[in-house]
Amino acid sequence: MTESTLFLAAFVVYILAAVFYLSFQFSKKFRWARAGFALVSAAFVIHSLALVLRTIESGHAPFTNMYESLSFLSWALVLAFVVVDRKFKIPRIGAYLILIVVAFMALASSPLMPKDVAPLVPALQSYWLWLHVSVTLLGEAFFAVAFVTSIMYLAADSRRKKGTASESAFSPETLDFVSYRCVAFGFPLFTLGGLIFGMVWAYEAWGTYWNWDPKEVWSLITWFVFALYLHTRIVMGWKGRRSAVIAIIGFLAALFTYFGVNYLLSGLHSYV
Amino acid sequence: MRYLVRLFSSLRMAIVLLILLAGASVIGTLIPQGLSAAEYAARYGRMGRLIVGLQMNQLYGSVLFLGLLAVFAANIGVCTFTRLSPRLRRVFKPRVETCPESLLSSAAKDRFQKDLSPDASRREVLMALSAHHYRTKELLKDNRIFLLARKKTAGWLGADIVHTGLLVIIAGGLISGLSGFKAELPLREGQIRQVPRAAFEVRLDKFDTELYPDGNVRDWKSTLTILEGGAPVRTKAVEVNHPLSHGGFKFYQSSYGRDWENPVIEMLVKKKSDPSFSRLLVLKVGEKAALDGKEGASVSAKRFIPDFVLDESKNPRTRSSEPNNPAVLAEIREGEDRVSIGWIFARFPEYSRMHGAQESDLSLELKDLNPGHYSVITAAKDPGVNFIWAGSILVMTGLLLAFFWPPREIKVVLEENQGKTRITAGGLSPKSREDFHTEFEKIMTQIRRSK
Repeated sequence: MTESTLFLAAFVVYILAAVFYLSFQFSKKFRWARAGFALVSAAFVIHSLALVLRTIESGHAPFTNMYESLSFLSWALVLAFVVVDRKFKIPRIGAYLILIVVAFMALASSPLMPKDVAPLVPALQSYWLWLHVSVTLLGEAFFAVAFVTSIMYLAADSRRKKGTASESAFSPETLDFVSYRCVAFGFPLFTLGGLIFGMVWAYEAWGTYWNWDPKEVWSLITWFVFALYLHTRIVMGWKGRRSAVIAIIGFLAALFTYFGVNYLLSGLHSYV
Repeated sequence: MRYLVRLFSSLRMAIVLLILLAGASVIGTLIPQGLSAAEYAARYGRMGRLIVGLQMNQLYGSVLFLGLLAVFAANIGVCTFTRLSPRLRRVFKPRVETCPESLLSSAAKDRFQKDLSPDASRREVLMALSAHHYRTKELLKDNRIFLLARKKTAGWLGADIVHTGLLVIIAGGLISGLSGFKAELPLREGQIRQVPRAAFEVRLDKFDTELYPDGNVRDWKSTLTILEGGAPVRTKAVEVNHPLSHGGFKFYQSSYGRDWENPVIEMLVKKKSDPSFSRLLVLKVGEKAALDGKEGASVSAKRFIPDFVLDESKNPRTRSSEPNNPAVLAEIREGEDRVSIGWIFARFPEYSRMHGAQESDLSLELKDLNPGHYSVITAAKDPGVNFIWAGSILVMTGLLLAFFWPPREIKVVLEENQGKTRITAGGLSPKSREDFHTEFEKIMTQIRRSK
């Protein structure tokens, strides 16, 4: 079994899982969601194996180019989904979340992303690569879950206002609460991995812990947005629509930090 | 003054500042930073002057941005420290005494009668609370027993610790900006340089570039020795990601270059009288290579110029440090006598001219030049960095306390009522309401059932 075979297998099973979750979405029959979850779990195991193989094959952490990092981000997203679904029992976020995973996996397997195993450039030869990238991406994965639940909240809320909410629908408040918990979980991870580990590594590698490099600045912007989310919510008691909008902006900022900075702005973080 | 304190402690201000800082940061990533005024004029036309005027060409060091950061720091400071003392009192010197009636307006509350003496009831209450890992303070006053049971108490301080950490980080940034210092030290192998603003020198012993089998760079390695008063005190192989620390300084492998000052010269020697004769000599400037022992002929390199040009007074000099027109001043001797001397060119062998008293039988050709590499070491001193780490630890500790250590507090009052005991309890846990309510009810049920 090679890494690319396993990756492809995981990809296919994720697609199947997404189909099952979508069926659950429309039929509201829980057995579809249960099957979806089983498939996601299976794909997650396969995907984990693919990442392990990639690590063995390349001899370094599996996130040193866009293909590897997208694959790892998808994996982190699934992990976040499994954690959130086990804790809050909201399988209906599955359809959207697994669709995002499928989109990332599709992007990773597109021919635009070089998949060759490349030796590590000197700047990346550090165990901080593991700590900095994995913790940051895990934090961003929780932001992604908050993004999904926030969008679902907005949709559910406007359905309720129009009076077209179906009876079986969950209360939008659960979605709002899950968004908050995901931000509250992702924020410390992102702070630790993205900002603090980033500063430590930058200091070890470049001699300056902060360079105002575009990726650093956009991480800080993302951090500001989620700080705003937490302050308005905890201290000012904002909830619902306004909170959801901030969480959505925050995830878009995180996404831009991840993708946009690489393709649109140049800077020190030009590896991935 | 009071108005200012109120303004600076308001959350609305914090929100406005967060939005402004985020917005300003975005602008800094959209406008390329650190170009010259002319480049901004070329790119943005008339707007270019505005960009430079508002210091948006170095936005993160601009008066406006730093001012914004200063106001932000003041906001965090005032916000934290005006609210700190009641919070510290709540954690370290809590009031145990309370009015039983006010407990009934708590988020979680209960009141019931127990068929036991106050003292026996007290024991039951304490047992139930400690079974759920609460720590209890007691007070006996006016025939009433007051109990204050708490757990995860440090959680009350989470946000304050985060904010203190942020202030420490901002202070660290300020110190770095004011007294941090960085210098690039280009070093050839064997070269010694004084470290600026330090009482020691650094010597490059060896510089290696390691390659992967496919030719990509695997590593740059500079073996550095620190010299104090000329004596070596420590040696370390410095690589990217593995700096050397000494005396408050850190030495980083930051770059490298080709040293065109003194390359290894390869010269091909031919004899006009003997076309089959051909010898390759390898030497550096100042070195002499004997051609064949018996005749005593030798060739030496007197000078090397990487980019040869003649100035107005016809003196050779170099136009740049790049090897655009490398030339060697070579000398041929027979025994002790100079036979001829002249410049030979790598790119233009036909212009090579050897001048001498007598026509030499030898002709020289510059075959190849191999420059050594020099290593660029960055010496950096940053007294602010320890503040950054201390602040980071505070921020993380505070975040963990704020989000994963929800404090819980239960107050209980026991009052004697005709040999029986009336128990009033109230509790709160603003950050984990649902879980706390379940726990609170469990505890109350346990107290009720106990005999």
